Amino acid sequence: MSTIVNMVEHLGGKAVGWWTTSYGILSFLVDVLSTVSRPATWNRATLDTIVKQIYFTAVQILHVYVIYVLAISWVIITITLSTARNVGLFDTATEMIIRVLVLELLPFITALLIALRSGSAINTEVALMKVNNELDALSHCRVEPMQFEFLPRIVGGIASVLSLTILGGLLILVLAYLAIYGFDTLGLAPFTITIASVFSLPLLLGLAVKCVFFGLAVTTLPIVAGLETPKKTFMVPVSVLRGMMRVFLALVLIEVLSLALKYI
Amino acid sequence: MVARVSPDLPLRANLSARENIALIPLYQKYHGAAEASRQAQALLDKLGFGKIGDKRDPDMSPTERFVTKLGRALILRRSRLIIEQPGAMLYDIPYPDLIRSLAQRVDEPADNWEIFDYTWNQALY
Repeated sequence: MSTIVNMVEHLGGKAVGWWTTSYGILSFLVDVLSTVSRPATWNRATLDTIVKQIYFTAVQILHVYVIYVLAISWVIITITLSTARNVGLFDTATEMIIRVLVLELLPFITALLIALRSGSAINTEVALMKVNNELDALSHCRVEPMQFEFLPRIVGGIASVLSLTILGGLLILVLAYLAIYGFDTLGLAPFTITIASVFSLPLLLGLAVKCVFFGLAVTTLPIVAGLETPKKTFMVPVSVLRGMMRVFLALVLIEVLSLALKYI
Repeated sequence: MVARVSPDLPLRANLSARENIALIPLYQKYHGAAEASRQAQALLDKLGFGKIGDKRDPDMSPTERFVTKLGRALILRRSRLIIEQPGAMLYDIPYPDLIRSLAQRVDEPADNWEIFDYTWNQALY
């Protein structure tokens, strides 16, 4: 009997925990939307902070990102071309590369990289700010943490995922062309025709929306996890652990949903 | 409206002393970054601690941290200024003298500043 009671209590606790977390995330997103819609938010100070965040999130990792994208893309393009040649589907290789690498793998890898580098840092910083009362101090000075600390990170995260994905996509297209046609300009016409046929407007919009959701996930979830941290320093690593797990689950969920919407 | 200088209201750790103070003109009075920074530095100069402008919280001495918190409270320009538990923030110096000298530097009689301290420290004043 006590085993059943314990199990019910455990399940109930889990359900309440999930509900509380989901409510916290939704309530935070409503706050974000409300701040975004206020014209007073968009002053010079906010814009300056957003620019700083984009620099920290996207520009500082640019060289690592480019090397990483070039290396992984080169390997995958080579494997794709070799497999396509073996099974007699070389004509469709360009489309396969674009669909697999540019549309699916690249945004996911970009979001993952930003989550690991900036998401974890955001989670730690917000948790420490919460523990050290820095957020209360900002509120006392009527400097809203949402406007000064959170919103710039969210906007910066979304802009970074979008811009890095565009840059990575262009690099992959150049690499794919070089791998298929070399430095011969004769391949330009068929290559651009294939690109134009794959990148329809709805597909591009879908890619942009996916990147926006990725950007939201890698910034919003760490911030909320940081804000949930109890005022005890030893809870900061637990908060980061929870936040990063949520980010990973959210990224996988977004990717699966996007694939399902596109192909099922 | 009260401006508090308190051990419970720390500085933003990743900002310098000047940036901590400049946040207020930047976000409340919508001044540009350069003007907000100039005002913050002018206040630090007035308090006699102009050299700490670039220091961040972890690099500050207790006195420098207190002065930055005081600068942040002063630039709020609220009708009351309360200093809470000064002994907890200025544990390495005779703090009543320091507070008195800082009040003189900003042309305010020390009486305008309310100090909330433990009764057993009353003899220090």
